[in-house]
Formats: sequence, C-alpha cells, structure tokens
Amino acid sequence: MSDTTIISTRNLNLWYNEKHALQDISMEIEKKKTTALIGPSGCGKSTLLRCFNRMNDLINRVKITGELLLDREDMLSCDMDVVSLRKRVGMVFQRPNPFPKSIYENVAYGPRVHGTNDRKELDTIVEKSLKHAALWEEVRDRLDESALGLSGGQQQRLCIARTLAVEPEVILMDEPCSALDPIATAKIENLIEMLKEDYTVIIVTHNMQQAARVSDYTGFMYLGKLIEYDSTTKIFEHPKEDLTENYITGRFG
Amino acid sequence: MVSRMKEKFVRSIFFLTAFFAVIVVAFILLFLLRDGYSIFETVGVLNFLFGTIWAPAQVVPSYGISALIIGTLLVTLGAMVFAVPLSIGCAIYISELASPRMKSILKPATELLAGIPSVVYGFFGMIVLSTFIRITFNIPSGQTWLAGSILLGIMALPTIISVSEDAISSVPREYREGSLATGATRWQTISRVIVPAALSGIAAAIILGIGRAIGETMAVIMVTGNTAIVPNPIWNVLSSVRTLTGTLGIETGDVAVGSEHYHALFGVAVVLLLITLIINLSAVAILSHLRDGRRAGRAKRSWLHIPAFSPIREKLLPYSRIVLLALITLMLFAIGLWEVALIIILAAAIWHYGRDRISRRHIEIFAFGCVIAATVAVLAILAIILGYIIINGLPAISWDFLTQGPTDLGRSGGIFPAIVGTLYLVAGAILIALPLGVGAAVYLVEYTREGRITKLIRTGVDLLNGTPSIVFGLFGFAFLVLFLDIGVCLLSGMITLALMVLPTVIRTTEESLKNIPQSLREGSLALGATQWQTIKNVVIPPAIPGIVTGAILSIGRAAGETAPIMFVAVVFSTRFLPTSLFQPVMALPYHLFILSTNVPGSSTNKYGTALVLLILVVAFYSVAIVIRNHYAKKARG
Repeated sequence: MSDTTIISTRNLNLWYNEKHALQDISMEIEKKKTTALIGPSGCGKSTLLRCFNRMNDLINRVKITGELLLDREDMLSCDMDVVSLRKRVGMVFQRPNPFPKSIYENVAYGPRVHGTNDRKELDTIVEKSLKHAALWEEVRDRLDESALGLSGGQQQRLCIARTLAVEPEVILMDEPCSALDPIATAKIENLIEMLKEDYTVIIVTHNMQQAARVSDYTGFMYLGKLIEYDSTTKIFEHPKEDLTENYITGRFG
Repeated sequence: MVSRMKEKFVRSIFFLTAFFAVIVVAFILLFLLRDGYSIFETVGVLNFLFGTIWAPAQVVPSYGISALIIGTLLVTLGAMVFAVPLSIGCAIYISELASPRMKSILKPATELLAGIPSVVYGFFGMIVLSTFIRITFNIPSGQTWLAGSILLGIMALPTIISVSEDAISSVPREYREGSLATGATRWQTISRVIVPAALSGIAAAIILGIGRAIGETMAVIMVTGNTAIVPNPIWNVLSSVRTLTGTLGIETGDVAVGSEHYHALFGVAVVLLLITLIINLSAVAILSHLRDGRRAGRAKRSWLHIPAFSPIREKLLPYSRIVLLALITLMLFAIGLWEVALIIILAAAIWHYGRDRISRRHIEIFAFGCVIAATVAVLAILAIILGYIIINGLPAISWDFLTQGPTDLGRSGGIFPAIVGTLYLVAGAILIALPLGVGAAVYLVEYTREGRITKLIRTGVDLLNGTPSIVFGLFGFAFLVLFLDIGVCLLSGMITLALMVLPTVIRTTEESLKNIPQSLREGSLALGATQWQTIKNVVIPPAIPGIVTGAILSIGRAAGETAPIMFVAVVFSTRFLPTSLFQPVMALPYHLFILSTNVPGSSTNKYGTALVLLILVVAFYSVAIVIRNHYAKKARG
C-alpha cells in the first residue's frame, strides 16, 4: 500500500442473507483522485460503495469478510467508531435527500451534530460549503427557505454542500446524477472536477460517458466481482478483459 | 337490459349502506339537539356554559357546566402529561431501535392494551390505583383528578403509540441515511431529523389520544370522585373532579324523562359531542393531509396547511424539548416522586451548562436508556393490570360461577346470564354492523371516485368514530327506547352497539379492499364481467381475512363497552335468559360496574367477573391479531 492510497480492500466479501453480493474485491483507491465504479445493474457497485462508510450496517443480516482499510486503519474492526468514520467518509445519494429544514440548517446540520454551535462559525462554514458546491450565488438570499423548494439539481448540490460542511477526506457518490436532467448533470460533473483538488471522490455511475469524463481511475464490476480496475484511459481505450470491452462498447448491460 | 338494471340496483343498495353513516350522524345530532335544545332556551347558552354551579337536584336547581368542562379538560391534560412522553418514547423504540422480533411482540402488546375494556381499567383504577394514591399522599380518598389522569393516560397510550409509530416509520429512509452519512449518531438522527419530520403525525396522534381521553366515561366515573367542583388551587391534583362524560354516566339513569334536568343532560351531551368532534376532525384532517402530501409528493394548500417545513417551527423546535422535559418533571412532581424530579432538574442544568463537555456517545446511551425505560414502563403497566386481575380473579372461577345465575345481588352465585347477555348483544351488533359496514366500504372503494359524496361519507364515518360511547348511549335512549318506543331491551342494545362499531368495520374492510391489486379487477372486467360480478367473485374473496379481522375487533370492542348499553339494554340482575329481542338482559361490563360501585362485599365475584370479561375481550382481540398477522405474512410472500 503506497502513500498515495487512501482506501484499500483485500479479498472483500459480502453476503446479503445467502446472496454473495461482493466476491473477493481487492483494490486500492488513490488519494485526491476521482475513481468511478461502473457495471450493469445489480453488479454490486453500490454495495461496494456503501462498504466504504459502512452504510451497509443499516441493513439487517449483512456479513462482511476480508480487509478494508482507510488510511491503514481497519474499517471493519469492532473498535472502529462508525460515527467518526462517516465524518471522514461522506456520502451523496442517488436521489437528492435534503432534510425538511431550511437551506441553512441543512448545511449546518453536520457541523452542529459534531458540536459546533457558535452562530458565526456556522455562518462561515455554511457560506464556504455552499460556495464550494457552486450553489451560493443561487441561494444566498433565501437561506431561511425550505430546502425542499429547490430544484432537483440544486437539491443535489445542497446535499454535496452538506457533505462538504463536515470536511470529509473521501466523498462517496452513488449515481448522483441519475435523477437529474442533462443541464443539472453537467453542473454536478463540473463540481466533481473541482472537488478533486481537495477531496478523494468515489463515484458509482450507470453512465459510461460520465465515468470517462470525470474520473481518473475506473473499476468495472460484473456479478459481484471486480473484473478490471485501472486508469480511466486504459479501461476505455485498451481494456484487458473481453467482458470490459463488451460492456464499454455497449454489447451488453 | 336486465343485467344493466341489476347493476344499477346493486349499486344503489351499496350507496345506501354507505350513506347510512351520514344519516346516523345526522340523527345523533338531531336527537341530542331535540332533547337538549330547551335547556339552552330556559337557562341561556352562556349561563349554561359558564355557570359555575351544577346542582340539578337542589330545590332551586342550577345548571352551570363550567366546572364539568374544566374537570374534563384538567383530567385530559393530566392524562396527556403521562401519556405523551411514555408513548413517544415507546413509539421511537418500536420504530427505530427494536429488532423485528421485538417489534412483533411489542405491537400486539400495545394493541392488547387498547383491547382492555374501559370498565376493567376503571375497576383496576378504583381498587389498586386510588388505594395507592390514598396511602401515598395520606388523604381520605384516592378518587382524584390524579387517579383519573393516570388511568386515562394509560388508556390513551395505545392510540398515541400506534399512530406516532406509524408516522415515524414512514419518514423516508433517505433522511435517515443522509443524516448518518454526515457522521451523526443514531440518536442525533432520530432527535434532529426523524422526529421533526414526523412531527405532524405525532401531533395528530396526540390529538387522537386527547379525543379518546375526553370521550371516556366508565373509567372516569370509577376513579375521579365525581364532585362537580373546580380544584382549589387549580393545580391541586389530589382534588376530586367531575367530567362531562361522568355526569352523563351517573345521572342519565335516574333522571325523570322530560324534566329540566333531563334536557340539561342532553345539553351536556351536545357540548361533549361538539368538543370531541372538533378534536377528532382536526386530527383526521392532519392525517389525511399528510397522506395526500405523501402520495402527491407535494402538499397542496388547504385551510389546514401543515408543511413539512416552516421557518417558525424550526425556530420553535428547540423549545419543544424544554416543554417535554418540563412535562415529565411536572408528572413526577404530581405523583410525588420529588427526588426523581429534582434529579431531572439538576440533570437539565448540567446539560445546559456542560453539554459541550459530555460526549455524544454518552448522550446517546442516556437517550436510548430513556426510550427503553418508557417502553418497559408501558409493558409493565400491561403486565400489572393483567396480572392483578388474573391472580385475583382465578379463585372465583368455577363451573358454578360460569353456569349459574347471580344471587344476593351478585355477591354470590354466578354470572351465566351476563355472559349469555353479552354474547347475544355482540352477536346482534355484528349481524347488523357487518352488512352495513362491508356495503359501505365496497361502495367507497369500488363504486366511486373520490369526490364530494365520498368526502361527505368519509367525514360521517370519522365523526361516528370520534363520538364518545356515552353519547351513543344517550342517543339510543332518546331515539330507540323512547322515540321508537322499543323500550330497554336486547334489540335496542344491539342496534346501539352496531352503530358504535360501524366505523371499525368500514375502515378495516376498506383497508383490505384497497390491498387487492387493481390488475385483478381489470383482468375480470376485461373478460366482460360486470362490476358486481367482479366484486363478488374477484375482489371480495381475497379480502375476507381482512373483513373477518375487522368483525372480530368490533366484537371485542362491543363486548367490553358499558356506556352505550347501560341506559338502553341492560338490567343489573335477572335470573332468566331473555326469550325475545324485546326483553332486557344482563351484560358482563355492566355487571362488573355495578358490583364494584354499588354492591359492597362482592369481592370474589367482582374479580371473577373482571377476569371473565377480560378473557372474553382479549380472546377476540388475539384471534383478530393472529389472523391479520398470518395473512399479512402471506401477502408479503
């Protein structure tokens, strides 16, 4: 494991009840790069993503074996504080899920739960996060209004701002654009491009063009296995596996 | 042509059954007003409502009900102080923390709590609770406001728990995940995102609980002492009070028909009905609004607009916690646990000044501890009531007790006529309510689109559902016994109980019809079947388990009710079984009521009667719950 690696897995296996959803996943994710996970529906890419901040814990009867390290720390050990892990590894979901609170309170939520109650400090964090998420200009005059009144794309950027407000090291994105129109999608993609400077981004996507556009590394998954994992250029231009090539050229999936 | 006629005919029959609920509500209002109107005229509306002295038996009678209204409000308020923290804690535990297995125990347990007849609660309250209060506070009588509030609080628990559990469970999963993904603890997620998002549902739950508490009669009569005074000072929970329902329950039986006092009682009933109707309608409005909002994805504006978000509410939210804490402290003060209350105040002070220094892990542990404690308290209450009645009632049960008539005013002998009377009453009630209720549900689900008429019918059903049982009793007395001149008899009792359980039958049937997939109906219609053929052959058969569940729940409810039948169908003691529908009968709940309030020295038989009644009702409820769970599992596959 090199110094530039932030998350690494070795022989990671996951079962939902009897279903073997992830099989022997081994991969290393580079710090401050964007990594995309692609593959047909049900291939396990979202499940893998949800391992990285242990969101699978919320589902009953999940069994995980193997090794999963965040900065050399064992993420799966019982000593791991899941709550502080999730502070370090934030997540943006498929459908925008702002809380039924004001725009301000949505962004301030994370800092608040982590113990920041000073109004001035919160104001600074909220402004910074919204600027970072390229939403500030659109909402600066209506921070007290309901977040549910925003458009879908704005809601998703708000969710990104909410994630940025706790200053995570890694941001997981689970098909963040699948519920958005092309214009909103373009905005999010630009945003991901900018986030790369400060954050490690792991994105699950259905859309191969999107993976090609935004990511530095790409992993192709199929039926619970990581078939191929390499730099995005290689995966899209010279895939080693036939399966990858077939998928990328649209012969199945 | 013939078949077209037949379809029309069938449809209009169903329409009539559905409209029946509206007619009943109109009749109830009409007959209460008809008999209550004259008191408003002679005394004057304002004097009636705000007069302080209720003394109908004086030489110069006085009919002011303000003390009764205040009594009702105080008892209800006290009940909520007990019920709200416990039920919300319990609801949070069931929906957020309990494992599926734990859930499958807790939900039926709270439903069982709902199934215990109010007269059994009253009996328990009279013997255990008021004695406890009398000894603890060293006062001459334990029949107090406090006793009434605790008991009504317990009775309101199941309603508040199940409705708020529903509200919390239906908060979208995305909110939960979104919060956890920012690194919030589970408790932070619950207290800052989930509960606020479920707040309207919880509010509706509390309002429904209030409606239940205000409409309760028997338990209140048995534990509040029934003195028509305003407590002095107003927060003196150890004072005796009297409620609107209590007044009706006590006095209607002895009043001379047509006298001024008689009209005054109907005036009281009108006031009571209006209060409960307003309360129930507002709860129903909130809930249906929520449901619409969820379905449409976006709430439409209406007069009762409760948005998922409002800036004012966001500002108020932090204070709601303080209010809740104050309520708990007040409750502990009220029941005399000064030490615990002081500890809470101390803890609140520490919390306020040192919360940044307490780790959130510890806060979470403490909060979960409270939530679990609330759940344990609810279970303990259930266990104590059941255990007490079973342990004391078992020695009374014998073959003779179950098969003989009562002797010596029920002190000795058995309760056979009461068992038979109760069974006759509920059998008749369900025979009347089932066709009407199922017909109404079929009309609402199968024959109409949502529109003005369905809205009217649904409102009628909701109103009927919120009508206090004692009001059904008064209506039965005024309409069936006197106006139609049927007399105090089995038939009057059956009809009154049928009207009371009608909403339950309609609702459960409606639920099960709605669960039948639309594709089944379309499949049948596409084969050229008529609507009635489709309903008869495709829709009704799979809905039968749901309908049966509703019927059994109704039977259980009817079997435990005292207030609706005590003026219309029952006598205290008869050695003989009724031979026709036009004779009065004995009934278990009424028998228990009289034994415990009017017959000193009947202790073994009292406990025995309570146990038999409890077993009967709980058996009906358990069967209904088992059937429902069995088919719910099947439906899920």
